Order: sequence, then structure tokens, then C-alpha cells
Amino acid sequence: MKRKIGLVAAATAALVVLAGCSTPAPAEQSADGQNITLWLMGGDTPDTLRDFLKTEYADATGGTLTIEQQDWSDALSKLTTALPDSENTPDVTEIGNTWSPTFTSVGAFSDITDMYVELGGNSLLPSFVEVGAVDGANFALPYYFGSRYIFMRKDVWGAAGLEIPTTLPQFNEGVVKLKTDTQSGFYIGGEDWRNGVSWIFANGGELAKKEGDSWMSSLSDAKTIEGLTQLQTVYQDASLAPVTEADSTPWVNINNNAATGVPEAATIIAPGWAHWSIGDLAPDPKDDTKTVATWNDATFGNFVLPGVDGGAAPVFAGGSNIAVSAASKNQAGSRELMKIIFSEEYQNMLGANGLGPANLDYASSLGDDQFATALSESAANSKLTPAAPGWAAVEGSGLLEEFFGKVNGGGDIPALAKEYDAKIDDLING
Amino acid sequence: MNRPLAKGLLSALAVIIALIWAFPVYWMVSSSFIPTAILQSFIPTFFPLNGTVSNYTGAIADGSFFSALGMSVAITLTVVLFCIVFAFLAAAAISRFRFRGRRSFVIAVLIVQMLPAEGLFIAQYKMVSSVHLLDSVVGVSVIYIAAVVPFTIWMLRGFVAGVPVDLEEAAMVDGLSRFGAFMRITFPLLAPGLVASGVYAFLQAWNEFTVALVLLPSEAAQTLPLWLRGFVQASATRETDWGQVMAASTLVAVPVIIFFLIVQGRLTSGLVSGAVKG
Amino acid sequence: MSADALTRVNNRRGIRAPHLLLIPAIAILVLGMGYPVIWQIVTSFQEYGLKQQFGQAPSFVGLDNYITLATDPQLWVVVGKSLAFCLITAFVTLGLGTLLALLMSAVTTTARLVLQVALLLAWSMPVVSAMTVWIWLFDRRRGAINYLLDMVPGVDMNRFDWLSTPFTFLLVASIIVVWMSVPFVSFSVYAGLTQVSDEVMEAAQLDGATGWQRFWGIILPMIRPVISIVLLLQLIWDLRVFTQIKLLQDAGSKSGDYDLLGTYIYKLGTSAQDFGMASAVSILVLGITIALSWFYIRSLLKEDVA
Repeated sequence: MKRKIGLVAAATAALVVLAGCSTPAPAEQSADGQNITLWLMGGDTPDTLRDFLKTEYADATGGTLTIEQQDWSDALSKLTTALPDSENTPDVTEIGNTWSPTFTSVGAFSDITDMYVELGGNSLLPSFVEVGAVDGANFALPYYFGSRYIFMRKDVWGAAGLEIPTTLPQFNEGVVKLKTDTQSGFYIGGEDWRNGVSWIFANGGELAKKEGDSWMSSLSDAKTIEGLTQLQTVYQDASLAPVTEADSTPWVNINNNAATGVPEAATIIAPGWAHWSIGDLAPDPKDDTKTVATWNDATFGNFVLPGVDGGAAPVFAGGSNIAVSAASKNQAGSRELMKIIFSEEYQNMLGANGLGPANLDYASSLGDDQFATALSESAANSKLTPAAPGWAAVEGSGLLEEFFGKVNGGGDIPALAKEYDAKIDDLING
Repeated sequence: MNRPLAKGLLSALAVIIALIWAFPVYWMVSSSFIPTAILQSFIPTFFPLNGTVSNYTGAIADGSFFSALGMSVAITLTVVLFCIVFAFLAAAAISRFRFRGRRSFVIAVLIVQMLPAEGLFIAQYKMVSSVHLLDSVVGVSVIYIAAVVPFTIWMLRGFVAGVPVDLEEAAMVDGLSRFGAFMRITFPLLAPGLVASGVYAFLQAWNEFTVALVLLPSEAAQTLPLWLRGFVQASATRETDWGQVMAASTLVAVPVIIFFLIVQGRLTSGLVSGAVKG
Repeated sequence: MSADALTRVNNRRGIRAPHLLLIPAIAILVLGMGYPVIWQIVTSFQEYGLKQQFGQAPSFVGLDNYITLATDPQLWVVVGKSLAFCLITAFVTLGLGTLLALLMSAVTTTARLVLQVALLLAWSMPVVSAMTVWIWLFDRRRGAINYLLDMVPGVDMNRFDWLSTPFTFLLVASIIVVWMSVPFVSFSVYAGLTQVSDEVMEAAQLDGATGWQRFWGIILPMIRPVISIVLLLQLIWDLRVFTQIKLLQDAGSKSGDYDLLGTYIYKLGTSAQDFGMASAVSILVLGITIALSWFYIRSLLKEDVA
């Protein structure tokens, strides 16, 4: 019996090994008729843009483009399994900008340095290009960027006699004054490090620094600690959000609550496109069981998180990169799709839909309303997470949620910083 | 205390407990008929007085529900069928025969189901992908059957042992072969046990989502748990639309509830005969 | 009759070796589990991360992964929490399930049917559906549970966030797991109870045995086989509980303080991309489960020798 099991297992294993050997794609292949798959993360890319890509791709190659949407929360495990598998890899995939260094450094993506200039070259958002490059070669390029800024209730701020703050200390003090038992002065979740990190950046701190060839977590740096201390005070004295809440849906708190008629929060920080969800609520004319929000300038306002000495504070640069899978058999078709994505027409379509276009030459497509202005202004000062090979593992392990949650829960910041520096150092170099 | 009074009080207690136990199910179904605008209130709505089916039409609007339903039904039926047959044969072997390796097999079967599945998915993916069975009913079913069959063997072992060998031998005296005797006499007596194991296999295959997430990567091959999870997550990026989410949850639950109601009589008697010999 | 004698009898009656009957089950086990299990054992001795996943040859590191996990205090905290969660949940489930089974045998037919239907409904709820409902019931703002508790005079549960501390988080998880598992236990134990003959019970009653004495002296020994297998299954299932914790974490915190072994392994694998360590921890969990169920395995070995 035992021998039997052994034999079948060996046969199974051999099968797996044989099939695992992938054939590299021929160097000079034609894109004609190649059917390719594109993975998009979440629902940020609107349907009109997806349709545009499909049509243009069919026109250019005669092949079919299949777009599959992946959920952010499952994306890491799907990318890990599918990208190395030439039979099932997406040919082109969107990838979180903060994960780009990790996947780029293990060789998940094709080298597209030869197309770099054609796709936009130095006009492409530099910080995003950097996280997708290794030793001067380009693998992942920016797809779109978003940026976070502040939304406020003008009525609540006005009633308290407060002006729009121009420095970060003014902001910190103002939101504390606005807090009541039932209303957050500033609604921010305790584990929300993507927004909370702005306080570190604003005070000149960093999450990690590169020393020589290796990365070191720098939570214990004096400037980082200063930022965390301010954040802790803001969270404790201005926010009613749960300490376990991460980057979620704060905009529901700034609208009037259907039950009470008043907002749950006087101020929130959110990605720019949240403005579609903020405003006076009214029944949806198409479906009376739903409500729609209409922006009202008298009640709502927005501004960029101010820096310590005025100006704009650096905020977390949201957005994603896009890359061709190294295991894809359809390299030629994938490169065609990249050309379509980086075409002037598509870049302008991104902008028109409120997504910051990868090619900054087309940033004007965002328009010039108050939201576009805030987006451009905050994006100009935005910062990315460290381009360290192990960064996806650091993020994926939930260490940052854990650390920020404990800080905001009232923990001893220097001690926590030391503890989590050690934990992050274990993972950050891949 | 006299006995009828005690019985009455205990019966009342049983009904109260029943209400508490069924409350989450009631809550799901009831909320699924309440318009979202009302559910958004901080005061819970306990009765669906102004009922609407708009939550249901909203939940199935994009049609992906039906493809997920088809996928789930196909996988679940495959798993249930193969599990019952394979487990039945194995259970017959280990409870009707003594042979070398029998004990090792019994213990191996027990231990195999103790291995945590969360660390296996890379290997499962490699294996299934290497034989081109990703996104297929077959690939994921093989993994499920292997995961479920140990426990069903375990369950059925007790049932087979519970049917006296004498009955079979009596039939053999009447000229039936051993196999014939087993099929004519023992098999019918096992029906409740087969139902009980089938229910277990059904629940496992219907509920599983971590393996499915990795082995069924494309949207078109989603099963119902994946569909529901995606639905909940998509809803959470706006203000969670609890009405629709509850309607979607109900849709996933209804087939199982129907299945349970159909087999319920057999199931209870199945547990009865299996239990004591366990 | 010794095993050899039995086999001879079987053979004389024209039955081939029973191994034939085992072939389908063994084949499917080897097919479905063989490669993954071997992979997991091998990988637990390797350095296997994302680089290896993308084609670099993994290197054998001997017992390094096991040494790392043995000296990682955080892992042992998770192990402790998981064991506590598993033992408490399993015994509460067993206790409640047995009480409900006793209740079923003591009430009128109508009441018993009502209770059975309610339990059946809970049992048949798919896990993802059930979790969705429970997460909403425990929602801090719109949850029915906070609303109802808040109505109790002197209790202020308005906006109490159940998922914000590890203790209340695991309490919620435990409540949900108990709710889901009690039906199976009750039905099984009730089935066992119906096998206890009425004559024995009446005789005991005439002898003046109290209800308590009857339970410990007669009922419990009769249903012991059911109880022990049900307990074993609950222990195995509650130690490796994954789906419930994962879905609660989706609704609450991603922090490691809210991990049990299942989610810990999952995070090591998918998120930290350290598959070598994830495999080593899986093997450790297997060891713990075998230790927990040793009482049963041992009785099985004995029974088999006899």
C-alpha cells in the first residue's frame, strides 16, 4: 500500500514539474490576433474606459482583450499564484504602487525600457516610475494617481468660528475644538496609516530609509516620532472612529445622517473622487429606495492638508502601476495594449474621470474645478511608501495597521516605534 | 413540581431558545425585504412591513449570480456524489474486513483532515494549473473530495459496522453472493448514513471559499461564496447597502435550506443510527 | 476470530482483497492531497519566498524555519490564544448542544419540532451568509445587538465596538462558531439519547435515582461514544477555524493581535510571502491537533488491537 501511494505521488509530482517549465515567449512575435487578458484592481477604472481599451485593442491587433477585475483584498494571493504561471498569467496587470518594488525585484514583469520614451518618458509621474524600475531598467509604469485631501463641513466650522487652517498645528487644534460627544472634529480610524502617515511626512519623517544597499525602518527617528505624537493627539481628542478602522469609507460620516439629520464628522480626509459621494442627500429619482448625494458649496468645502509651516503637507500618493507579466506568451499584444493605455486619448479620458493621468502632460484634463485644483496641489506634494523589495510583505502582514492602531490607542510611542522597527526590518529587504 | 407543569415550562423554554437560535436567519430574510433607506436608520427595523423586492432585483441585476449558482451546484453535486461512493466503499472495507494496513489507513484518514488548509494553496494552484484545470469544476472538485472524503469515511464506518453481519450471512445461505448480500441487505439500511455524509459533503462544498478563490481565478467561474463576498466588499466601498447584502446572503442560503428540508427526516434518523456506534 | 482467520474466510467466500474497495478513496486522496502535502512538508525545510515562487531555486535550510518559529514569542501567543479559543468554544458547544438535546427529549413533540427546525435553519446557513448577518448584528452603529442591549436599563452599549479589542473580537467569533456548531452536536446527542431504552430509565426512576444521577450514571455512559466523537470533531474544527476569523477581520482589524492560527498561517503565506515559514507553522498545527485528539486516537488503537 505504502509503495502504491509513493508511486502515484511521484507521478503526480513529476507531472507538476514537467508542466511547470514555461516556454519563454519568442522575441520577435507579431501582436496580430493575440487574445490577451488585463487585470484591473477594484472598480476605479470606469466602464467607458474599459470599453475604449477593448475596442482600440481589437482595432490594433484583431485580437480580443479580456478585462478581469480583481478585488484589492484578494489581489496579493492571486498575483502571487498567477503571475509566475505562463498558462494563466494575466498578460498585463494593474498593481498597487506600493507593491511594485516587490514584484519588480523578483522578476515578475517584462523589461519595457525600450518603450519608455514612446510611452511618455520623463513626462510620466516620476515617483511611480521609480518604484517600478530596477537599476535603470523600467518594468512597471504609472497607471493613474489619486491624492488625498480634506473635506469639511463649512456650517460646522463656521458655527465654531473657525477659519480654514493654513498650518498643520492650526488644523490639529481646530479639529479638537470641533469634537462633541456625538461628532468627530476629524474622523480618522486608528489603524488608518495611509492617511495618518501624512503627519509623519509633514514633520519631515519617513517610514524607512535606505542605507547603502539595505532598507531600515525609521519609525524611531525623532521627526517620525514627532509626527506620530501629533497624530495620536488628533486621534484621541478629535476622532470618534474605532481604533480598528483602517482606510475605509469616511465620506459617509460627513453627510447628514439619515436618522439624526446631522453629520457624524466635521472633517474627513479622503481620496479626491470621494466628492461624488459627498453632499446633500435626496432620494434617487431612478430608484426611490436609494439616495444620491449632491455637492452643496454652502455646506461643504475642501482644502489641502496644510504643512507644518503652511503650504501643503505631503500626503500618501494613492494610485497604481501597470506592467506586462514576464510569463505572458503574448508579449507583442501586451505591448500594443501598453501603447493604447499611454496614448493621449486614454490619458485624457483618465483625467476626465477624476483619475490623475500617468503622463503629467495631460494633467489639465482633470479640469480646473475646486476638486481638480486640490488634487493637483496635493499630488504635487505627495509621497510614496519606500521602494523596498519587501514592502508588499510589510503592508500585507498588517504591521502598519497594528502599529498605528497601538499608537492611536494611546500607547507609548518610542517603545512601540522600537518594537515595530525590529519587526519591519525583518521583512523590508525581501 | 408535577410532571405536566414541568413539561410545559420546558416546552416554553425550548420555544424561546428556538426563537433566539433562528433570529439571525429571520433577521437576514426580513431585512432583505426592507428598502435600504429605512435600514440606514440607527433604529433597527424588526418587521418588513413595507416590503420590497427591489433588493433582490438589485442583487441579481448583473446576472453573475446565475453563473455562480450554476458553478456552485455543479461542484457541490460532483463532490457529494463522489464522496458518498468512495467513502461507502472504503467504509465497507474497513468495517467488514481485517487486513494488513487497515489500522494505518484508519489513522491516516483521521490525521489527513487535521492539516490546516491555509498553507496549501500555492501547491494546490501549481498542481491544478499544471493539468490545465483552473476555472474548471473538475479541478476544484478533486481538491474538495480529497478534503471531505476522510470525514465521510469516518462517519460511514460506524453505520456499516452497525448493520449485523448475521443479516448478510443469512442472505448468503439463501444463495446470494457476498456482494449481492451486501447490496440487497446492508445497503438499504445504510441510506440514512449516506444522507448524513452527503449533507456534510454538501455543506463543505457549498461553503468553501479560500481554495475556490485561488483555483477559480476568473470571474466567470466564481462560486456563490465568492460572489457573495465580492458583493459585500463592493458594497462596503460605498455605504454598505445592507438590504441588498442581506438579499444576496439569502439567495446563497436558500438552496441549502431547501436541500436540508428535503433530507431532514432521513438526516435525523441517520444521525440516530450512526450515533451510538459512532 | 483473528484478523488472519477473518481474511481467510473472506477469501474462501470469493471476496478479493478489501484493498480494491479502498482504491477510489486512496486514489482521490493521493490526487487531491498528495502533492500539496508533500510540497508542504518539503517547503517547511526550505527558504521559500516570492523569489522562489518566481522561479529561483529554493534552498534547503534544514530546521531553520522550525527554530525560528520555536523562538518566536508572537507565534506562541497565537498558539495560546488559539488553544484557549478552541477549548472554550468546543466545550461550550458540547455543553449547550447536550443541554438542548436533553431538552428535546423532555418536551412536547410540537416544542421539539420547533426547536429542531430552528437549529436546522442555523445549521444550513452557508458560512459567508451567516457571517455577513452576524457582522451586521454586531455592527457598532446599526447593529440590532447593541440596540437591544442598550434598552436594558443601566446598560450603555450605544456604539460599543465589539471588534475593537481582541477579547471582544474573539468573543464574537466564539459566539458565532457556537451558534453554527451547536445544531450538529444537539442532533447527534439527541440521536444517541433516543437509543437509551425507556425501560432502563424507568427502572432507574423506580429505584429513586434523581435526574442528575440518571444523567451521570446511565445516560452519559450510554452516549459516551457520541460525545467523544463530537468533541473530537469540535476540537479539530475549532482549532483550525479560519473562515469566520478571516471574514471578521475583513470587517474589523487587520492587526496581528486578532489572529488565530488559521489566519496567522494565511498571512504568513499570502501576505508576508514566506511560504517556508507558513508550511512549518502548518506542520506545527498538525502536531498540536494530534496531541489534542490523542485521547481518541489512543482508544482507536486499543479498540483495533482487541
